[in-house]
Amino acid sequence: MSDPVSLLFTVLILSLVVNIGISLYGVFTRPSLVKKFISLTIFSDTLNSFAIALGFRRVVEGYPSIAVLASIPEDVSELAVVANTAVDPVPQALVLTAIVIGLAVYMFLAGLIVMYYRHYRTTHVRPAGGGSIE
Amino acid sequence: MELVPISIAAISALLSVVATYLAVRSRDMMSAVVFSAIQSTAYALIYYVLMAPDIVLVYVPVSVGILPAVTILLIKKTERYEK
Repeated sequence: MSDPVSLLFTVLILSLVVNIGISLYGVFTRPSLVKKFISLTIFSDTLNSFAIALGFRRVVEGYPSIAVLASIPEDVSELAVVANTAVDPVPQALVLTAIVIGLAVYMFLAGLIVMYYRHYRTTHVRPAGGGSIE
Repeated sequence: MELVPISIAAISALLSVVATYLAVRSRDMMSAVVFSAIQSTAYALIYYVLMAPDIVLVYVPVSVGILPAVTILLIKKTERYEK
């Protein structure tokens, strides 16, 4: 832990954990459906950030590079250089898919919230259970 | 050498904690949307530092552009202040 880079990385991960806590608090306790919607987007973004942080790695010297071949390699040793210094591209591909699918899900949820408002004349969750807003 | 990018990532993570707290606590939905966009910008910086520029290219239009626009439309169609 005396390494400052490890300390800063720990600060990053702990901030993401705190974000998960705050956004789940918003989803569970806020009565407005729009506020639940905003908290849910923050929650899913935080989980995507965890996947990205999982694919990151520290190389021995310098900073890791993107997992992209900028030019067609002449021999196999250039491939070995990329494989030894690049970050993991698989979580990035998964997160890319998750962001696009999540956008479609949020559009559907927004439509459902508008329908809820037209039926109950409020976005408070309590009328759906038969109660009333005090 | 690698201290500067990681400190940028850590500072934007702390900024995103503040923005998330304000977005969840505020009673005005419009300011909640603005704080959510600030949190998304901080996450885009984190992704760029963690060597995922392709995610940044998708995440910035989706999460700073389209989602706040959809949420503002949703607030226009429903109600602005939380009871």
